[in-house]
Amino acid sequence: MTNYIWQNIFRNSSKERGLQSKLKTNFLFQDLSFAEIAMLEKIVNVRNYRPGEIIFRQGEVGVGMYIIAKGLVNIYVEEIVPASGELKTTHVTQLRKSDFFGDLALVENNGRRSASALAHEETTLIGFFKPDLLEITNRRPSAGVKILLRLGEVLGARLKETTNKITEMKKSALADSSTTVDDELT
Amino acid sequence: MNHLSTETPSQRAVVHEHRVKMLFFCTTLVLLFLVVTQVHNMFVSFLMSFVTYYLLAPAVDYMERWGLSRLIATLVPFAVLTGTIVTLLALFFPDLLAQSRAMQTNAPKYHEAFITMVKHFEEQLSGTFGPIDLQHKINTQVDSFSTSFFEGAPQYISNSFTVLLLTPFFSFFMLLRGRHFMRTLLSMVPNSYFELALNLNYQIGSQMGGFIRARLIESIIVGALLWTGLEMMDFQYGIVLALFAAVMNIIPYLGPIIGAVPALIIALSNGGDGNQMIEITILFTAVQVIDAAILVPFLVAKIVDLHPVTVVLAILIGGQMMGIVGMIICIPVISALKVTFVALYKHFTDFRT
Repeated sequence: MTNYIWQNIFRNSSKERGLQSKLKTNFLFQDLSFAEIAMLEKIVNVRNYRPGEIIFRQGEVGVGMYIIAKGLVNIYVEEIVPASGELKTTHVTQLRKSDFFGDLALVENNGRRSASALAHEETTLIGFFKPDLLEITNRRPSAGVKILLRLGEVLGARLKETTNKITEMKKSALADSSTTVDDELT
Repeated sequence: MNHLSTETPSQRAVVHEHRVKMLFFCTTLVLLFLVVTQVHNMFVSFLMSFVTYYLLAPAVDYMERWGLSRLIATLVPFAVLTGTIVTLLALFFPDLLAQSRAMQTNAPKYHEAFITMVKHFEEQLSGTFGPIDLQHKINTQVDSFSTSFFEGAPQYISNSFTVLLLTPFFSFFMLLRGRHFMRTLLSMVPNSYFELALNLNYQIGSQMGGFIRARLIESIIVGALLWTGLEMMDFQYGIVLALFAAVMNIIPYLGPIIGAVPALIIALSNGGDGNQMIEITILFTAVQVIDAAILVPFLVAKIVDLHPVTVVLAILIGGQMMGIVGMIICIPVISALKVTFVALYKHFTDFRT
């Protein structure tokens, strides 16, 4: 099954900007004032990845999210096929500049990554982690609340999106099974 | 094709880059460790700076919430702390000095009384268990301690002066630029360990902060209670004995006993009908009951979740390696090691979700 939680539904078509403007246009930080963004700029972590480099692996403990400042990121899910016992890797989605991923780790306690992320090309990521969020909440509680509200919105929207997809799938599965029963009856 | 395990030229470059970054990161850590442990007075200065840092950090963050710059937010609590220390010194230092001098003058008397007490104790034990040379052993220990203490006194004073100068300097910059320094250090960590390192840094930092603040507040309250009790009893050297007991109280289990020993020796040497000895025992026991029943559950418990056997082992190892300082710092060090091992274990054991 496709892992819809990794699809970006907050994609923003922005052009090349500095770190501050990249942060300002991100869905999570768009309510922050310029002073708060300036503080955030000194807290976030900019990391560079080579093509094929693993950003994180499925099953690892995750502590935060990444915003793509440059490049492309592939999301994969690894699962063991019950019949053969082999490890199957499924490409879930490709994320591009301004997308963000891994945000669930910001609210989980020692939560493990539900997918793996790999850099597709030379990629620059802005890492925003739980210690960073706690630092902001501690130093500027109002900024922390703004981020947390947006984060709640993101997680809520992801949940709604996933629920809708599951409902659609169940409906189609039900329709298929009723068609089969009708066919058998006729 | 398995995208997560295929070795490409780019991935070989990644591995090379990781190794180089890891080498630089580890070298920096080793160099920092060597500077802190090998340069004269640096270790104690750093230790005191960390205590000051963790004590003031919440106040600095609180001031920053009011829109003050980090510099001003650091300067204000620093000024308040300096003012408090200067006021306390102005109020109590003359008494502390007078009591220390009187104690030093009477030291031979206390030594003699202590030896007499040990002799009595030894005679009683010898009657039951056969000949024991307790007196000679203790005498040698006390003599060597007194000689090294008094011979090394000028060196201690000189060291204390250096530490007193270095501590505010280090702690000020830790508060002002500590985060920037840690970010620079963490930026050297290879990508695959970055989240782990960042999380470890945060977990150890918050646990240390909580532990140091809790232990400091606990010791201040214990010291204040003992001082009040000793003053009420009109017992000599109240400030010195309470201060010593408060510092020793940081060491779990053994600290309170070590802290009570000088007061008990003085009470013994004072002679009398033994009432003073009983009063001192009751006072120290009562303060320890308050500490164990009220202070520890509210302040310290749950901050460092260590098994009592681990704590005792850590104290013994710390004491053997670095004496009293080792006994005091062993608990935060062992809890930091525990956090590190738990995080590393979680990181390297791959559980598929």
